[in-house]
Amino acid sequence: MTMNPWILHLMKRLFPPQVLLPDIIGIDIGLTIAAIAAIVFLTKTKRWGWLWREWITTVDHKKIGIMYLLAALVMLFRGGVDALMIRTQLIAPHQHFMSAQQYDEVFTTHGTVMIFFMAMPMVFALFNAAVPLMIGARDVAFPRLNAISFWLFAFGAILLNISFSIGGSPDAGWMSYPPYSELMFDPGVGENYFLLSLQVAGIGTIATGINFLVTVLRLRAPGMTLTRMPIFAWSALITSSLILFAFPPLTVALGLTMLDRIFGASFFTLGHQGMPMMYANLFWIFGHPEVYILIMPPFGIFSEVVPTFSKKPLFGYEAMVASLLAISILSYGTWVHHFFEMGAGPGVNSFFGLSTMLIAIPTGVKMFNWIFTMWGGRIRITVPMLWQLAFVPTFVVGGATGVMLATVPADYQYHNSYFMIAHFHNVILGGTVFGLLSGLYYWWPKMFGWKLNHRQGVWACLLFVVGFWLTFMPQYFLGFQGMTRRMSSYPPGLGWTALNFWSTIGAYVMGVGFLIMVYNIIWSRIHPDWDTTGDPWDARTLEWSLPSPAPEYNFARIPQVHSRDEWWEMKQEGRTDEVKISEKTVHAIHMPRNTPMPVLLALAFFVGSIGMVFEWFWLAILGGLGVVAALAYGSFANYSEKEISRDTILQTEAQLGRLES
Amino acid sequence: MDNQQQLPPPGPTGHGDEVEVRILTPHIAQPHFPTMQVTGYGLSLAITLIAFAMVAYHWIGLDTLVTVLVVMAFIQGALQLGIFMHLREAKGTLWHLPVLALALFIGIGIVGFSMWIMLFKSGVS
Repeated sequence: MTMNPWILHLMKRLFPPQVLLPDIIGIDIGLTIAAIAAIVFLTKTKRWGWLWREWITTVDHKKIGIMYLLAALVMLFRGGVDALMIRTQLIAPHQHFMSAQQYDEVFTTHGTVMIFFMAMPMVFALFNAAVPLMIGARDVAFPRLNAISFWLFAFGAILLNISFSIGGSPDAGWMSYPPYSELMFDPGVGENYFLLSLQVAGIGTIATGINFLVTVLRLRAPGMTLTRMPIFAWSALITSSLILFAFPPLTVALGLTMLDRIFGASFFTLGHQGMPMMYANLFWIFGHPEVYILIMPPFGIFSEVVPTFSKKPLFGYEAMVASLLAISILSYGTWVHHFFEMGAGPGVNSFFGLSTMLIAIPTGVKMFNWIFTMWGGRIRITVPMLWQLAFVPTFVVGGATGVMLATVPADYQYHNSYFMIAHFHNVILGGTVFGLLSGLYYWWPKMFGWKLNHRQGVWACLLFVVGFWLTFMPQYFLGFQGMTRRMSSYPPGLGWTALNFWSTIGAYVMGVGFLIMVYNIIWSRIHPDWDTTGDPWDARTLEWSLPSPAPEYNFARIPQVHSRDEWWEMKQEGRTDEVKISEKTVHAIHMPRNTPMPVLLALAFFVGSIGMVFEWFWLAILGGLGVVAALAYGSFANYSEKEISRDTILQTEAQLGRLES
Repeated sequence: MDNQQQLPPPGPTGHGDEVEVRILTPHIAQPHFPTMQVTGYGLSLAITLIAFAMVAYHWIGLDTLVTVLVVMAFIQGALQLGIFMHLREAKGTLWHLPVLALALFIGIGIVGFSMWIMLFKSGVS
């Protein structure tokens, strides 16, 4: 039987040899079975309508936050499996668990997934879950834009994640430096996937930045001046402004690389006067603020967690805000420290080395603020607090090694060695991820209405932290002994074997910690410890004055704010009945209506991106037309808000026991 | 649109941090043909095409070219902000001014620093 040559060509393009490895085919089969099972489950329990009405078309910030969180946890699993594959390959010399090509693909996906599709959405999950509630707002400033952001992120993530089974994964590292990422050295569709998925998710990220900037500036409850805002809201404000200015350079860098690869331009190529180092420059103008985008929200989370579990107001609120602002400005003047070796000369290098060291000062201020908040307080060791306590030494080590890397002459030794790998995992895993997990355990009852089991949470945290130190401490020494990043295997006799072995064992321990966390979530869902008070932690800020989870409109009556920790003050002064409503004080509430436009818009982007990835321009144009159609529908459709009537509100609040008697 | 209901009412909100500037008092347009927007759209397209042509067809020398491009970039930015970004439609607190100042500061910083950093290239190739 002869096959149509056109179909044969298509099959070769969709399934090149690199995706026909036995393990990838195994995963494909597993995913297909899981997808069929999910479809059967949804059909049998008749939940398609529920899924569409309650989740896919929702514009409610609380539900969008939950969707972000679930997506981030799935991506944490995916990136974690990649990490374990990397460590398994390096457990002993001359391992051939994976081929060098597959190893490249795995570390590229690990970095990309963890930064863009795990850390960023988990940040947005907590923003969505907490910020509107803690500033006394009914939703974010642009609810529909919020849904657009989420779906763009989701389809960007899908785009990157299908690459390993259709067409081939990107393999040029999460930075994708040219000239290697150019067509000449890296043919195939992998890099196109990288460029397009980040571009699509990046549009969503910029929109989220705008959304939370406006939300925090414009939707605060009356009386909540900027200096009465919770620090987490401050960190949302500053993170948003960083996003707004940091992502456009990434968009430009990715866009120009795409022009190079797909349309034969030569912005970053070796020939035709291309400037590959300009990509590094543009990428890190984005990349350095990006790491502060990732660490600012955890700073905000800890500034809520520490006062709550120390029963003390935050030490040095003003210093905290000032240092957040200082970091946000300084973070724009440090990006060259990612490429001191480029050869820009001593003037440029010493300027950027100094600015990098300067940024350690405001960061150090924050450390002391948290420690002084705990000082003399009545500390309760809950799971969020445990993550914070684990964070302090980890982040101090990460910061100190950061200053070492900022020393220009020394950086010529450390650069791209395992020392650098250990450093940035110390700050991103030990800083951002510890912080986000702390926030996850802290706001979980507010998001879902039930608490996560304490004992299991403690075990997950302890195993994760022990595994963390065991993984990354040896890597500092591997760096000193000359092991460079991205080696797919190494020979024996260099003194690396034992260190690598223990590092891998540590990674497995972290994996066990993650599994216990998943078990913790599932177990606590099956045996829910319902939070009936709305304030399970005896906390300080406004979101805890609401029932868990908050009703659709959040606040039946917008509270009047008098002081910094308003809910704590209410409790101290016995004014907690102020949050209750009576028939006289309740009015009908206008809320935005659900709309399918965001998911359709993102779907159109997805289809167009597939067209660009495989250079099927008819499909790309089709996707582009879909984008225009979705935008036009969004502009001209009648978006009259729905009104939640007085009676509905009174009924809801009465059920929650919040009516004045 | 879906967000209008949620904006706080105009006038003092009790935050005590409003600033009043006369030239930025609201100019919410009445419904008529958007002459200004269409002109602005045409102008920004024209500036983009001229810039592209200047680079593609080598109309002028490199040093002059950079200066002209930077000037055109500023005109382009002013067009976008003034015509499409509602710069003159301020209500209450002028939240957009500090953000704009920051944008200008960071924009100039990024472009200036990048030129300084990439200078070494001229000596290499």
